[in-house]
Amino acid sequence: MLVIALLVGFGLSYFALVDGRFFGAYRWGAWAARPEVGATAPDPYTRAYLARTGTLQLGRGEGVQFIATEDSDGQALTRACTYRVAGSTPVAAFWTLRATTPDGINIAREGTPQSMHSNRLARSNSGVAAIHVGTPLAAGNWLELDAGTGHFQLVLTFYDASFLAGFGASVTALPAVIKEDCA
Amino acid sequence: MIRALLWLIAGLMLGLVIHLVIILILPRFAADNVWTQVQKLEAMGQVVVVPQPAPGAPNPLGLDPEMAYAICQFDLTEGPGAFSGELPADFWSVGIFDRDGVSVYSTTNRSGVGQSLELGIFNAEQTRLLSQQQFEIEEGLLIVAAPQNDVFAVVRLALPYPEMRTRYEQALAALTCGHTNVLDTISDK
Repeated sequence: MLVIALLVGFGLSYFALVDGRFFGAYRWGAWAARPEVGATAPDPYTRAYLARTGTLQLGRGEGVQFIATEDSDGQALTRACTYRVAGSTPVAAFWTLRATTPDGINIAREGTPQSMHSNRLARSNSGVAAIHVGTPLAAGNWLELDAGTGHFQLVLTFYDASFLAGFGASVTALPAVIKEDCA
Repeated sequence: MIRALLWLIAGLMLGLVIHLVIILILPRFAADNVWTQVQKLEAMGQVVVVPQPAPGAPNPLGLDPEMAYAICQFDLTEGPGAFSGELPADFWSVGIFDRDGVSVYSTTNRSGVGQSLELGIFNAEQTRLLSQQQFEIEEGLLIVAAPQNDVFAVVRLALPYPEMRTRYEQALAALTCGHTNVLDTISDK
């Protein structure tokens, strides 16, 4: 009984704070966000998440951050592969995209842009931007990663995001994360 | 068989209790939360421009490389907090957080405050005094009522280009923050 209790107790807590599905995290495609982190009275799960991460969060009036640890097919993002992040984005003043290790270290190659900014992207005639993420040279918008190995995550931050006013129901579009080639 | 099932159910119930206890006590016992990170910056009563981590270096605060950050910490038992100054016309936002990292207040320059940041932070007692004495505040001053005495403010300033970082961090460093004696002034009237 004690083994079951410890497994359930700690396992459920780990899942609630890391994955967060069913525990306050919002998921759309490959992306996950915790809309309550910017709230003035967050739920206990979000309070525990805030204590565990120790990072500066965005207030609800400032914006919202989405994180993808998997591609749109549910495969974990790995530095052995290249990815294309493409598709529509919700209304916001601007957004940024960066690639980090699971503990937040930026893995863009030194001397290259450390992140992508929505106002500085090459776009198609329809206005949609595609960003290539990976080590091999890519045409267009290229977030060049360093030569490391292992899993990584993509951090997509929307600033002054008006879609937060009706969060959840009004998030109708986030870019897809499409795996291209793997070494 | 029934006994094993009862043990299983008891284990699950106890597991749920352990889970709830962990979630509820974690904020109290977290050793390396955002408050301790901010304290390392020594920003009590003064503006500190947060250095952007070098490529490949740890980023414990989760800073966005497209933004410049300034932080000021307040102990409202010392008096109401004030955070003010002029900022470039590009996007900026300000957030007030308590020691658990919970947002108390946030806004952006798109909400009509323009380039001028004028923020007053008051605890519950100071807010009550402020309202009772009908102090005439300056136009444009944002009044924030904080539920705790330990709070910190973060200003995020968007860089139009990465090359603008030095200039924009200088603009952030020119902001002023600290504790005001506004309530003493009111009492003297």
